[in-house]
Amino acid sequence: MAHSIKTRRRPPARRRHAAALTVLVATTVLGACGGVEVRDGNDDQATEAADPSGDAPGPLELAVLPKAVGHEFWTTVRAGAECAAEQAGDVTVEWDGVTAETDVEGQVNLVQNFVTTQVDGIVYAATDSAALAPATQAALDAGIPVAMIDSGTEPQPDEVPLYATDNRAAAVEAANLLAEELGEGEHDVALIEFQPGSQTNTERVEGFTEGLAQHDNLTLVGQQPSHSDVNEARRVTEDILTANPDLAGIFAANEPSVLGAAQAVEAAGLSGEIVIIGWDAAPDEVAGLRSGQISALVVQNPFNMGYLGVTNMVNHLREGTPLESADTGVTFLTQENVDTDEAAAILEPSCDNPPVG
Amino acid sequence: MTTVERADEAVRPGDWLRERLSNALSEFTAAAALIVLFVALSFASPHFLTADNLFNIGAQTAVIAIIATAQTMVIITKGIDLSVGSVAALAGVVGAMTVRDLGFSVWTATLVAIVIGALAGLVNGLLVTAARIPPFIATLGMMSAARGLVFIITGAVGVYGLPESFQLLGNGEIAGIPFAIVLTGLVAIGIAFLLSQTQFGQYTYAMGSNLEAARRSGISVGRHLTTVYVIAGVLVGLGGMIAASRVNSGQPNYGIALELDVIAAAVIGGASLFGGQGRIIGTLIGAFLIALVRNGAVLLDISIHVQMVIVGLIIWAAVYFDQYRRRRLESRG
Repeated sequence: MAHSIKTRRRPPARRRHAAALTVLVATTVLGACGGVEVRDGNDDQATEAADPSGDAPGPLELAVLPKAVGHEFWTTVRAGAECAAEQAGDVTVEWDGVTAETDVEGQVNLVQNFVTTQVDGIVYAATDSAALAPATQAALDAGIPVAMIDSGTEPQPDEVPLYATDNRAAAVEAANLLAEELGEGEHDVALIEFQPGSQTNTERVEGFTEGLAQHDNLTLVGQQPSHSDVNEARRVTEDILTANPDLAGIFAANEPSVLGAAQAVEAAGLSGEIVIIGWDAAPDEVAGLRSGQISALVVQNPFNMGYLGVTNMVNHLREGTPLESADTGVTFLTQENVDTDEAAAILEPSCDNPPVG
Repeated sequence: MTTVERADEAVRPGDWLRERLSNALSEFTAAAALIVLFVALSFASPHFLTADNLFNIGAQTAVIAIIATAQTMVIITKGIDLSVGSVAALAGVVGAMTVRDLGFSVWTATLVAIVIGALAGLVNGLLVTAARIPPFIATLGMMSAARGLVFIITGAVGVYGLPESFQLLGNGEIAGIPFAIVLTGLVAIGIAFLLSQTQFGQYTYAMGSNLEAARRSGISVGRHLTTVYVIAGVLVGLGGMIAASRVNSGQPNYGIALELDVIAAAVIGGASLFGGQGRIIGTLIGAFLIALVRNGAVLLDISIHVQMVIVGLIIWAAVYFDQYRRRRLESRG
């Protein structure tokens, strides 16, 4: 139900006389859409005083759109967004997304729908940096502020911030980590990318190959995409292993790619012999790290993306704070640090102990 | 079409021969392409012609081959099933949850997955026969509804944390042969037998060639057509369970655009979207032709984009040759 497209019209939130009705509607819709809506009378007064435009603070409705629903990563983004909404008070998060990251057109339509329904702000991750640029512009033209999370657009307007991992820098580090794990000598390595053409994918691929260039003893012998499908990742990894029996290391650039690569390596009976550096931290990835199947995981902070996106958007709408981009940071998870408190806050983020700030 | 004539009791020897020849030629074209590719890859990559690689290809293709078999049955009836990817995902995640959350064995989970597939097939079948909704639309609705159900029951998160035993169907072996390959073989033989050797098979072709003629000749069209969708659903459920088992998790996003792969396999293998034509052996050849292109491309480190172009070319070529040959046969007749 959380994924249905909602076309119902809402009264503009700024209009005071409509506010009560909006709250009623929001509360009624809550059960159906799984959004978060918190009333806090004290908060109203505080924000009203701070509102530079003098408008009533009113409840806010934000559309928060992942690239696709169905992956652990985006579910954590959602938790961060809803946590921020809860803390800000009187903010409804409309969580909605396409079912496949490849469905670029579907996402364009989704953004357009939220422009049509006049939400107060849109926080989203672009499935395609070029294709979504007009959608962002259309929202701005309609007077709806936009904040990007995880993946921005190209071009990205000045007033649109990006709350994301510095993918390129983190991928360079991943290559360094792979070189470190493999040690001296000549080694063949492979790269499982996910969605050729998406900006995040491009940044990770470029960062990784840039990092590899610093290590003469590593040769990239295979590079194939998984299209964010575990079965596909497994298939291409199996075939790369077949073509390169001496393969020593794999860098897999997102959750489904890592899981499929690890499955293929396991099936080939090479677990522990082939170094896998992965990205993201789905439960099975962490289990693979603990068992030694995976050597290290580059863990982003999706909670922080949703959290910063919604928090800053709310501050912008209520207090006129300019929206500015921020790096949401990564953590390199290994067997050594997987059980530390820092890792726990990243792995099981909750609104009680959010991995933010 | 032989079966139609039997149903119509209007058999002409020439038609029968032409039809046989037509089917054989269609499969021959695809099979020839398969053999050429196979030989070429054997020379191009030293790693291609190895037992490990061939078993890999077999296991990788198992799910597509099984679901393409289901699709072929539906296509023969002049139908189409767009819901196979969504239903496979539904069966896979429910199977995975049956093991993880309810603690049942992988066998029970497989049974549950098959029942889910059968139910989806039953709904498809009833929509087509009782509600008179065209197959394209009926299964388009199921494609969306089943995917939505997957997201609702999983909360849009993969089903992880499954025991080792869950991998039996996808990663297990029987006498050194991957279980998935054995299952594909059993399914293919079973359905090929059903289609070619039984009255049910005759009715299936008859309905696809001329539904009205089939009805008038006394076939209980509604019941048989529904049964075809149910059997297809059973296979889709099994396929979804194998796919989940291969990656030891229930993936809510599994099988998006899978319907295109399996329709391509069936069409390359000689099935006609106009109904009444298609055989399981042809579909298997089609599925493995696509699989070989993908395997070969990775072995030779060819980009995914080129692979997609090649698959497109093969679809065009297969159907073009098929049409060409058919016209030739008809003009001669």
